[in-house]
Amino acid sequence: MPQLESQIKLKSLLKNYFSNLNGPIAWCTSAGPAEILRALGFQVYFPENHGALLGASRTAQRYIPKAHQFGYHSDVCSYLTADIGAWLMGETPLTKAYGLPAIPKPDLIVFNTNQCREVADWFSYFGREFDCPVLGVYPPRHLEKVTKADIEHVSQQFQNLIDLGEKIIGKTMDMDQLKHVLDLSKTGTQLWQNVLETARQHPAPLTFFDSCILMAPIVILRGTSECVDFYNQLLVELKSRLKTGFAAVPNEKVRIYWEGMPIWGRLRSLSDLFAENGAAVVSSTYCNSWIFDDFNSRNPIDSMASAYTKIFINRGENAKLALVKKQLTDFAVDGVIFHDSKTCFNNTNSRFGLPQRVRDEMGIDTLAIDGDLNDLRFFSDGQSKTKIETFIEQLKEKKPLLL
Amino acid sequence: MDFQKQPHYLGIDLGSSYTKFAVINDDGDVVNSQVLPTFGRRRERFNMAVDLMHKNYSIQKTCTSGYGRNSQKSDIQKTEIICASVGVSQSNPVHKCIIDIGGEDIKVIESGSQGEVIHFHMNDKCSAGTGAFITEIAEKAELEIGEMSDLAQASNANRTINSFCTVFAKTEILGWIFDGVPIEDIAMGIYLSITDRVCKLPIPHGLPIFLCGGVITHHPFLKQLIESKLGVEAQVASHPLYAVALGAALLARKSDSQESRK
Ligand code: SF4
Repeated sequence: MPQLESQIKLKSLLKNYFSNLNGPIAWCTSAGPAEILRALGFQVYFPENHGALLGASRTAQRYIPKAHQFGYHSDVCSYLTADIGAWLMGETPLTKAYGLPAIPKPDLIVFNTNQCREVADWFSYFGREFDCPVLGVYPPRHLEKVTKADIEHVSQQFQNLIDLGEKIIGKTMDMDQLKHVLDLSKTGTQLWQNVLETARQHPAPLTFFDSCILMAPIVILRGTSECVDFYNQLLVELKSRLKTGFAAVPNEKVRIYWEGMPIWGRLRSLSDLFAENGAAVVSSTYCNSWIFDDFNSRNPIDSMASAYTKIFINRGENAKLALVKKQLTDFAVDGVIFHDSKTCFNNTNSRFGLPQRVRDEMGIDTLAIDGDLNDLRFFSDGQSKTKIETFIEQLKEKKPLLL
Repeated sequence: MDFQKQPHYLGIDLGSSYTKFAVINDDGDVVNSQVLPTFGRRRERFNMAVDLMHKNYSIQKTCTSGYGRNSQKSDIQKTEIICASVGVSQSNPVHKCIIDIGGEDIKVIESGSQGEVIHFHMNDKCSAGTGAFITEIAEKAELEIGEMSDLAQASNANRTINSFCTVFAKTEILGWIFDGVPIEDIAMGIYLSITDRVCKLPIPHGLPIFLCGGVITHHPFLKQLIESKLGVEAQVASHPLYAVALGAALLARKSDSQESRK
């Protein structure tokens, strides 16, 4: 699709972000309490974003085997193996892209196991490498309902994080600053939601594959005015597309929901494959994961604890089904593709009967494809193409094929 | 009028091991079919076969299918799942389940009476239970592919290969050979393990089952084993090896008639 102005802007925004990672630095998981770290005065760096960069640049393939040699099994998260492998080889795509000699050295490492336990191993490895304090937030997992007790449990851990952060930074956290950051986060996340919701229109003005790129600021700049400005501008552009009826997939015939991780090294080819077949991937669990409805600066700690504990990946199967069903209805989806990601069990939802439940309860067709977020050895281009093309045709041709 | 001058349609199924050709006339009857090993870098035999069909028949349109469907110039390209569904539906216009066991994968297709794909499942990642699996294991056991069905029928053994992985399965077969397991029982063991793999796939209940693909063509005894394991009758589709090529030819005919209607 023709480039959006915002896509060009994104390049300078990212360059600016990476070039300015020079204050006290905290590493954080992508759905971790970045707002607390920013309010404390840290610059925040996100190793998962680095993992995705390694995947999208297809350099992961070179680094993953290094981590295997080092003792990480080939079934383990390929963000982790790509990232640790790159570190062991002394390389990073940030050098070529932004002139950084290496990944930024942390003063504090924070992870939240709301997404998986892998981040604990991954971030702790770097804690040892840099001799840096590591703090883990361990919320209750796989929740159907998030209770007050669950939230209190997490709030207490956020409080511990504030105590540790204050010691490292050498000053107490300004509560007003936290509220300010959280307001920016909330505005950013609402704008991101508005951006994604433009795809409710037929034809959709953007697809999942565009959103995978456009989501960078809501992950790495959440809680900053740059993030808010970026999505404000993007939204203006998309609204003008809505007015003109611009189609991200010309001749959109079929609307698809993508469940699971992106296949970073195949974003472009998959985007082309769907477009060639008249299918628009209009919504996804993945991009929706950075919509945090619960943020509320009147009650910053508890509302963050609630928002970060309620994320999709941390929910039970029934809660997940309800969330997916709502998306399928809101976006008028014809079919769901479940990406069974070999090295991310946590972000794979096709293994416990969810596709069958979606089919039974909604009458919407589903397809599971095997692949991986970063390790392309687990992805077969030929088989996936056959499956996806057949699936799209199956959705299109609810009418007879024979003469 | 010379029948060969009447309109004909060519379907080519470029599978992972073999390429199958089917030529149909305007009534949808198969008038020619043939199979060649799928070309590597040498395309002469393939090109010769295509040229000959064009010489002998007035081919209006060609549809390619299979993994290699985009590697050849053709009027339309359709996946092997769609083509199998259309091909088998020609003589079986009912709501059904098609099990297509090919060189490198197994497909289970829920197919509508008009040839439409309702749902499908395709094994990924691993060749267990496919033609390539049989070929590799049979080679290790020094079994002739063409004799396997007859040999297995003479066996009462109920021993299967445990391993899911072709490499481990080969080691397991080696163990059987060292233990002096009779050759019929080895053939049976290979078939039983394939049957196991097939029957673990999500096969919809209550639908007539049609088998097609290279494996059922060369190993007809498997039908019996699949039937007894599933507890239902199964039929081998007519032209089991050419089901996809036939479906492709039928879709070529369909696209031709759609164009002429425009
Ligand atoms: S959620 Fe999956 S991809 Fe993300 S860090 Fe955990 S294991 Fe890796």
